Amino acid sequence: MMEDETFTDISGKAISLSCQDHSSLCKEFVVSVPKVSIGKVMVYTCCVWLLAYVVFFFTENTAVLSSAIFITLVGMMLHIHFVKVDHETLLFIGSLGIQLSSSYASGRETTTFIEMGKIKDIVINEAIYMHQIIYYLCVLLKDPSEPNAVARVVPLFQSSKPRLNCLVKVYKSCQEILSKC
Amino acid sequence: MVLKIFFPQCCNRADSGLLVGRWLSGHDSAVVLAVIHYPFIPGQVKQYIQQIQARSGVELSVLGSWSLPKEGQEGMESFLRDLSTIFPQKRWLQINRELGKTGFNCQVLSRDQNGRVIPREIKKKADKIDGDDGEKKGKKKTKKEEEKEKEEEKEKEEEKEKEEEKEKEKEKEKEEEKEKEEDEEEKVIFVHYEQRKVMLSQLHPIENGLSDPTTDPTSELRQMFRSVALSQPLFFLDRYDDGPLKSTHWQSEGREASIIVELLKHSTLPLCVLIRWLLSIWTWICNIRVFSLSPLRFLSSKLSTCVQLSYRTEHMRTLSSQKPAAGHTEFMRKANMVVSVLLDVALGMLLMWWLYKDNHISMLANTLVPAADHVAKELEELLQWLMGAPAGLKMNRALDQVLGRFFLYHIHLWISYIHLMSPFIEGILWYGGLSACFGLTFALSLLSDMVALLTFHIYCFYVYGARLYCLKIYGLSSLWRLFRGKKWNVLRQRVDSCSYDLDQLFIGTLLFTVLLFLLPTTALYYLVFTLLRLVVVLFQGVLHLSVDFINSFPLFAVALRITRSYRLAEGVKFKVLCEEPGTALHLLMEINPLKSSTVVQLYRTPTYSCYPKDSWAALAKKLFVGELIYPWRHKTTKTD
Amino acid sequence: MGQRRRAAAVNNSSSQGTSAAPAEAAGIPNRKHNICMVSDFFYPNMGGVESHIYQLSQCLIEKGHKVVIVTHAYGRRKGVRHLTNGLKVYYLPLQVMYNQSTATTCFHSLPLMRCVFVRERITVVHAHSSFSAMGHDALFHAKTMGLTTVFTDHSLFGFADVSSVLTNKLLTVSLCDTNHTVCVSYTSKENTVLRAALNPEIVSVIPNAVDPTDFTPDPSQRQDDRITIVVVSRLVYRKGIDLLGGIIPVLCHKHPDLQFLIGGEGPKRLVLEEVREKYQLHDRVRLLGALEHKDVRNVLVQGHIFLNTSLTEAFCMAILEGASCGLQVVSTRVGGIPEVLPEELITMCEPTVRALCAGLETVIARQRSASVPSPASIHARVQNLYTWRNVAERTEKVYDRAAGEEVLPLDKRLRRLRAHCGPVAGSIFAFIAVLDFLFLLFLQWWAPDQVMDAAVDATGPNGLWKEAGGEIRANSKSAVKRAAEPEMSIL
Repeated sequence: MMEDETFTDISGKAISLSCQDHSSLCKEFVVSVPKVSIGKVMVYTCCVWLLAYVVFFFTENTAVLSSAIFITLVGMMLHIHFVKVDHETLLFIGSLGIQLSSSYASGRETTTFIEMGKIKDIVINEAIYMHQIIYYLCVLLKDPSEPNAVARVVPLFQSSKPRLNCLVKVYKSCQEILSKC
Repeated sequence: MVLKIFFPQCCNRADSGLLVGRWLSGHDSAVVLAVIHYPFIPGQVKQYIQQIQARSGVELSVLGSWSLPKEGQEGMESFLRDLSTIFPQKRWLQINRELGKTGFNCQVLSRDQNGRVIPREIKKKADKIDGDDGEKKGKKKTKKEEEKEKEEEKEKEEEKEKEEEKEKEKEKEKEEEKEKEEDEEEKVIFVHYEQRKVMLSQLHPIENGLSDPTTDPTSELRQMFRSVALSQPLFFLDRYDDGPLKSTHWQSEGREASIIVELLKHSTLPLCVLIRWLLSIWTWICNIRVFSLSPLRFLSSKLSTCVQLSYRTEHMRTLSSQKPAAGHTEFMRKANMVVSVLLDVALGMLLMWWLYKDNHISMLANTLVPAADHVAKELEELLQWLMGAPAGLKMNRALDQVLGRFFLYHIHLWISYIHLMSPFIEGILWYGGLSACFGLTFALSLLSDMVALLTFHIYCFYVYGARLYCLKIYGLSSLWRLFRGKKWNVLRQRVDSCSYDLDQLFIGTLLFTVLLFLLPTTALYYLVFTLLRLVVVLFQGVLHLSVDFINSFPLFAVALRITRSYRLAEGVKFKVLCEEPGTALHLLMEINPLKSSTVVQLYRTPTYSCYPKDSWAALAKKLFVGELIYPWRHKTTKTD
Repeated sequence: MGQRRRAAAVNNSSSQGTSAAPAEAAGIPNRKHNICMVSDFFYPNMGGVESHIYQLSQCLIEKGHKVVIVTHAYGRRKGVRHLTNGLKVYYLPLQVMYNQSTATTCFHSLPLMRCVFVRERITVVHAHSSFSAMGHDALFHAKTMGLTTVFTDHSLFGFADVSSVLTNKLLTVSLCDTNHTVCVSYTSKENTVLRAALNPEIVSVIPNAVDPTDFTPDPSQRQDDRITIVVVSRLVYRKGIDLLGGIIPVLCHKHPDLQFLIGGEGPKRLVLEEVREKYQLHDRVRLLGALEHKDVRNVLVQGHIFLNTSLTEAFCMAILEGASCGLQVVSTRVGGIPEVLPEELITMCEPTVRALCAGLETVIARQRSASVPSPASIHARVQNLYTWRNVAERTEKVYDRAAGEEVLPLDKRLRRLRAHCGPVAGSIFAFIAVLDFLFLLFLQWWAPDQVMDAAVDATGPNGLWKEAGGEIRANSKSAVKRAAEPEMSIL
């Protein structure tokens, strides 16, 4: 395990990339995003509760307050279960395939495995994302009917969105393995 | 070149023996399926493998040797090498696990020109993280002596076989020479898999069962899954069986439950026959000529009860067919159908129990007639209001009166119809309630039909209003074109310019003005009755949706996903088991279950849904132009 | 393959990531610029502006400048694309309002534009066409960000009607603090100077051009027993299609051996179809529909006479193409058309049905008597009149000059706006400029420049495309262009 210089994501937040060499054929890249900050949670909770209190002040209905608590709890749970990604992993196993997994703050994990036979290449591409133009790493999948065409593009590190220098690092290692097999 | 070996987890602690498995065509990988232990007679092994091969259709072969040496057992090297000459293979794997260590060693041997074996030095030591370090030591010391006896027997047979095989081997020599060079850089990846789960799971997206497994080079994983699933006969050999061969592989824990399943299977046979007989009677009734007359046929295609009936008939026909389900898809379809029918009937029974428990039927019937009366009264008031100056709008008085009277007369007709029917309503409800024993969906469809019949007057109002409105809109649009000196070219489906005569223009403009000023009155009536109609359609739509939901929800698949998540696999996921750099890779292959949403999407029973699938924009446009909207879809959609 | 190359480009980027700032000292001629062309109109849309931008960019790349193009998304074509020779095109997802022109609020395009300008390290922003709202937006933002701005006007406007008055006011605001303006003809320059109340000294004239190798004559394609009149233009009002609808029946009645070949598509197609049906001219008037760019030449060479009926035109590329193919050109005398071709190659008429008929009659008579010069000689004359390399050289000089000037700081800019655009509009736009500046400050705080990844150059002094695609560059330019163009078609 080797930690390197600090990387940031496209909005300037610090993220960390750790590369792990299991063998010459198998590399694992983990991009981890900082944890949910307590301050942010507090701010959101306070906002909802203040709003609820204002409504309560005018309606004098206690159900508003209890529903506000309920909403914040449910919202937080949904957020950490479906939105907040803790770290994203790219496991590149030469001659077998690529495994992408992202684990959420709640511990939920989603995994996809792409077989080597389907992969055409790994490239860095440019895209317009919201109000920005960013670089991203993606896997090109082969079209089974036409060997030269690209059937689908699978973007990597979708939720952490690292910057170019980080992507280049991952890209170089991936190409190294790709060239071997 | 990277050699991938799929190794079953249950063989991690197996005694030394032969690895039986399969090389995957087109890929550089081997699937180990079982370990056959020493002592054995090579001829028997070959025979056994041939038997299994005939039964399963998988090209099985002996891949190599597996050794887990006991204490004091050494000098196996030459013996293992000799083994490879008995079972000729292009490549011979020697996997062994050493006593003190948890890792595997793997040696790949290929042959040289004289048929002798030359070891390719790709010795890789690997540590495996596994929970079983301590246990393996104390096992099976007694076998050592048996093996020695058997070895002597073997040597005699070897000599015979060697001669036969030498000839074959010479043919392969040339190919092997090429391989040698490649092999120099060869590396090994061990992929450990759980045999039971892989055997039972179904990889998605499902391929057609027609494609030939041997010639299909598409995907390595798919081939691997398929060979494990197909070699099920191999796993029938029990550990405690007294056969000539002993082997290690996945073994089922018990047979008790499967006996019950077998019994059930047998009991369903007469049931199927019964259902088929009933179905044949039912189809005979349906095919009587009276039913195929045009009005009846039209009616039955619009009544949701009839639609549901034919739908369920179709289900029953599929279920009672004698052929067993061909592939995974069909099996899942049938299972989903059975579960949905059973659930449907159970819910229907529950409804019936509630209906007939406290005489709810008569209560319902008693409230129905006053409710209808109430609706009629409300409608009459609405019409009276429209005939005045509704919401302060000043309407065209003459047209307003005519329309209002016309609709009032209809309400009068309908009320008398309801009153005529009122003595029979309770009876109808009572018998209708009985239909719930066919399932909740029947009851719901019946309810939907009854609502449609009871609100027939609303439908009539709507149609009159819409037709009138539609006529005006069309008239206005074509007169507007005349107004601009254009006309609609029917042949070319476009607007052309056209020069009209003066009197044509005069009359057209006059008509245009008249229509334009009468439009608000008609539009108001149309609006009000459309809203009423929409309420009814919405209610029917909800009923249809729920019926559709019960019909199509893949309950079995969802239950399977929850309880046996590995059965429906989206793919696989790997975990790295080896932490040390510079060793061969050990990966653990787990099954990645299908997402629940995908399960529902994939296994939904297709229904020919009877509600229209218009987009909202299309619906709004239809409403604006005054086209009729129906809760069902037109069989033949006109394409302009 | 392209992906690979791009990926390779990324490989080498880290070394030059920070050093790519325009290091050349100011004032030295032949310095290299990072140019951003902005217009609503670009391929796959088809027309004069589009091909102007494309050809000019290619020639500038050849001269070693870095060029990127910014336009709005066309259907599914959005994001970042690379064309021949590493010409990078940003298809930004902005809402199209009318006639392929984006809606403008003066602000909403700033984040994306700023992103492009910053990551490509742009020094010169060059907007095209006064119809393009996106171009004006880009000029506005570029001035806020302190970049040099150049504008090319491709069209003529009136002064009388309401829409013209409004557009002219907008143009005044947009151009009053732009460093330099380019017009395609002297008529256009006159028009623009009047409309935008500009100092004529900062307005240059650089005409359009055609690629003569693309439009070569081929008399063997002609039908010798008949006379064919070719019209290639979009079928819209501005191109005078109603005039054409008046000409066709008159001439067809007089000359039974006359036939029309009309290429292009548009809302006015209906007019021509009706004429054809009314006078039963199905065998003599052929409507070819939308033409691919590569098919235009094949249509042109089939004719004897090229007819252009435009009602307004700053610089007509169509007649140049027609003449280059060796056709007799008949055109309306509007806008910059009289400047384009020498007298003997073109017959000018007033834009009325009668005048056009008369003009055509004389040309037909000349054609009959075979007293016209041969197609090859016409082509030889036109061949060297207008070339893209020449255009690029002249544009380069404009860039050099504009880069030497200072970009007005905010206070001077506000003063200029107030003084130049009248008290009301000036104040309003000064206010908008201030808001735009504040918005820019906010964006700079929210997503600082250093957080944005600098783009990897495909073209320009540090371009990586050269190494990868050297052999492509060595080929003749026109051949490369053809490879890139099959997806473009006339609308």
